[in-house]
Amino acid sequence: MSIPIYILKRILQAIPLLVIISIISFAAIKFSPVDPLAELKMNPAISPETLQAEKERLGLDLPIHSQYVRWAGNFIKGDLGISTSGEKVAGRLMERIPNTLLLTTVVILITWLVAIPLGIYAALNWKSRIDRILTIVSSMGMAVPSFFFALLLLIFAVKTGWFPIGGLTSAGFESFNPVRKVLDIAHHLVLPVVVLTTISLAGLQRQMRANLLDVLESDYVKMARAKGLPENAVIYKHAVRNAVNPLVTLLGFEFAALLNGAALTEFVLQYPGLGRLILEAVIKSDINLVMASLMISAMMLIIGNLIADILLKLVDPRVSLG
Amino acid sequence: MKIKKYIKYLIWTGIIFLILSNILHVDKPEMPETIKTQALSQNAEVKYPGDFKTIEINGREYIQARGEVGKYGGTLNNSTIGEGPKTFNPWNAKDATSSQMSELMFDGLVTTDAYTGQVIPLLAKSVEVDKTGTIYTVKLRKGLKWSDGKPINAEDVVFTWNKIIAGGFGNTSARDNTLIDGKMPEVKALDKLTVQFITPKPFAPFLRQLTQSIAPKHILEPVANKGKTAFDSFWGVTTEPDKFVTSGKFKLQRYIPAQRVEFIRNTDYYAIDKKGQKLPYLDKYIFYIVGDINNQVLKFESKQIDTLALSGSNVARFKELEKHSDYKIYNLGPDTSTMFLSFNLNKRKNTDGKYYVDPAKQRWFNDKNFRKAVNLAIDRENAVLNILRGVGSPLYTAESLSSVFLNENLKNGEPGNIDKAKNLLKQSGFTWNNKGKLLDNKGNIVEFNIITNAGNTEREALGVMIKEDLEKLGIKINFKPIEFNVLVGKLSDSLEWEAVIIGLTGSPLEPHSGRNVWSSTGALHLFNQRKKHDLQNATDLSEWEKELDEIFEKGALAIEFKERKKYYDRYQEIVWEYNPFIYIYSNLTIVAVRNNFGNITPTTLGGVLHNLEEIYVKE
Repeated sequence: MSIPIYILKRILQAIPLLVIISIISFAAIKFSPVDPLAELKMNPAISPETLQAEKERLGLDLPIHSQYVRWAGNFIKGDLGISTSGEKVAGRLMERIPNTLLLTTVVILITWLVAIPLGIYAALNWKSRIDRILTIVSSMGMAVPSFFFALLLLIFAVKTGWFPIGGLTSAGFESFNPVRKVLDIAHHLVLPVVVLTTISLAGLQRQMRANLLDVLESDYVKMARAKGLPENAVIYKHAVRNAVNPLVTLLGFEFAALLNGAALTEFVLQYPGLGRLILEAVIKSDINLVMASLMISAMMLIIGNLIADILLKLVDPRVSLG
Repeated sequence: MKIKKYIKYLIWTGIIFLILSNILHVDKPEMPETIKTQALSQNAEVKYPGDFKTIEINGREYIQARGEVGKYGGTLNNSTIGEGPKTFNPWNAKDATSSQMSELMFDGLVTTDAYTGQVIPLLAKSVEVDKTGTIYTVKLRKGLKWSDGKPINAEDVVFTWNKIIAGGFGNTSARDNTLIDGKMPEVKALDKLTVQFITPKPFAPFLRQLTQSIAPKHILEPVANKGKTAFDSFWGVTTEPDKFVTSGKFKLQRYIPAQRVEFIRNTDYYAIDKKGQKLPYLDKYIFYIVGDINNQVLKFESKQIDTLALSGSNVARFKELEKHSDYKIYNLGPDTSTMFLSFNLNKRKNTDGKYYVDPAKQRWFNDKNFRKAVNLAIDRENAVLNILRGVGSPLYTAESLSSVFLNENLKNGEPGNIDKAKNLLKQSGFTWNNKGKLLDNKGNIVEFNIITNAGNTEREALGVMIKEDLEKLGIKINFKPIEFNVLVGKLSDSLEWEAVIIGLTGSPLEPHSGRNVWSSTGALHLFNQRKKHDLQNATDLSEWEKELDEIFEKGALAIEFKERKKYYDRYQEIVWEYNPFIYIYSNLTIVAVRNNFGNITPTTLGGVLHNLEEIYVKE
């Protein structure tokens, strides 16, 4: 099957999937006992008329299925609705998307650029001292929960005063020159990037090492060596190329994670990203906002998988699409 | 050989550990967790600095500040917990953060004196109320200007009241609070700078409603004419800062979502210092948006913010560190929050013909002696010490301790007294079985549920404490923290609950704001909530509920403070005697502020920043 037709087919398959996802998530939120008006109800200054007006504005007086139909109709038209506080959901998401994209791209870039070479190095120097140290460090990285690591770094930042607590820019950012702007953002990014890379780096490095070790044991590598190819050609042309295959699939998932953010880390470190927004929205049962983010996540996952499959085809001609 | 290697490892680990422990130097372990109230003695030296003066310079009537002369420049970094503002439109603000920030930009006709709680003029030069208590004549200052240079005049006031507030634009609570017998006051301009408000009846709380921000008619009239949706989204958080036309001391400079809100000085504000220099002194005023209280504390410790409200064990820790630090801690006295225990006094049936409350329990809860006994069994001092770590005071009255209407005779309540409590229970026919369990006169074991919202550690701890206190009377409590939303559902909708621990925030200046709670028709009449159909011809009002209804009606009609005080003193007596709510404690407001600011004179009513325009950065 040629690639464009394959893409079309996958997109068509995705539509019923998205409908099902949206129904399940909508129902799950609606059946949770969270009332977006609870706080207003406990406020002595709010009159019953105001409460009723709020109810109507948010459509809470309608039965659940008509609420869903109303939401779905708007969603198809590209209108994500308004949040409980009355702002456009699309606007709120757009405020945060660039921040989250910045963080996740930096994290993914650093992770991949560091993890792959480290994995290769560890595999080639199997059981050497450096391999052992890397094993210990990466086991620690995988074992430490992200929020806990973030907390440790926060204490570090407070005690030393070397890094700012939370945010992405300093006050007066707009009047900085471009170089200082970049440095300022980089300064704010250090803590969240360190937390998130440490955690994903460990896994990726281990995976690369294990894959390469497997491949290095295989017959065709032995064959290549026996043939008398230079060691570099054996490793980079034959072994690494085969070992990287499973990681391409992982890359697809990474793409899906681009906009998911890392809610816990963002929350602990007060990073102004999407994850924190969604977490707050879930707590407040801000249905339009939660639905929009869930749908975006679902679509990103589907697209990520599609990209991974196509990349796999390009990297490995043995794979057939269908 | 091998041993040498291990020793090397050990030494390295030791060195790394030392470096880390130095960097992450932990506070001394003997740091106190609770604090004696004496250590936090209230700042007694808050002296009333005298009235504001109006000074006329070049045809403009300025307000003259009362503090010392400072110097220009600098930034004050504040913070706000939560998601940040939702709008900068003060007439549409529905949450505290949005109101606080938008009201920085838009002044009202009057404001509240932070020292005395009296209503004092702001945009207005004077407010006069006639003898009938229905005609308010407001004179505006001469030479007031919007930030676009247009004059502020009577037309703006009339527009704000007749179109925005009476028209129900944005947040309607201003209208709900001003409706008198369903009617809005009549507002008209007498001349360019004079406005007259005529209320249908004398209505004391109206004067404080004049604090409502005044809107620029020339900007907002076209918007309001487009309808409510257009008005609600006007001046939202995505508006360019230079689009705002404001009257307040600060103006929005930049809003960066989830990070901070930056305000810049209004260079043409109508306040001056004693030397005649224009206020405010500060160049910038910044709010950092922080997710939770822990992050706020961290931001203060790392010196990114200049002021911090403290609570619980943090107070003792910061107080201990104060000596070696660059901040000072101020005790502003009890705040306006109240924590209480309430019983469901509802004796009605729901639409399915089932009692909301089990009839046996109804009898206990509706027994005045039973409620009083519970009141006497609760050890408030203990609660303040253990739950609030000393940062609070016992509360006995329905008005908060900082209220200007506080009933002084009841302020200190009555100390806990188990014997008296047991006597009261005996009088009502309660007895004890051989296991010490309390029985009612029909032999039922007294046992009921107390609910509160889960996740609020303070209320959870209080529940456990009350459970232990009531065990001394032989009462068995099943304490059940539940989700906040479920709790609200029970209290306001299903009405199936027995006892609850909850808190409400009141106004320290205007008891009438509590009418939703105290009047029998109120939407928050928690202890005996009536549904719409119950209200049509309610015959089951108790005598004291009737009296409360009457008090809240008459208290609003009386104009003189003394006369009003009599009514509201009586309402606190009734609540004390009949215990629909059993008040337990109020938190203290404790604030830390960095030393490098001048003119910091915190007050109970105004907080730290009530005189923001006068605050300046010292050398």
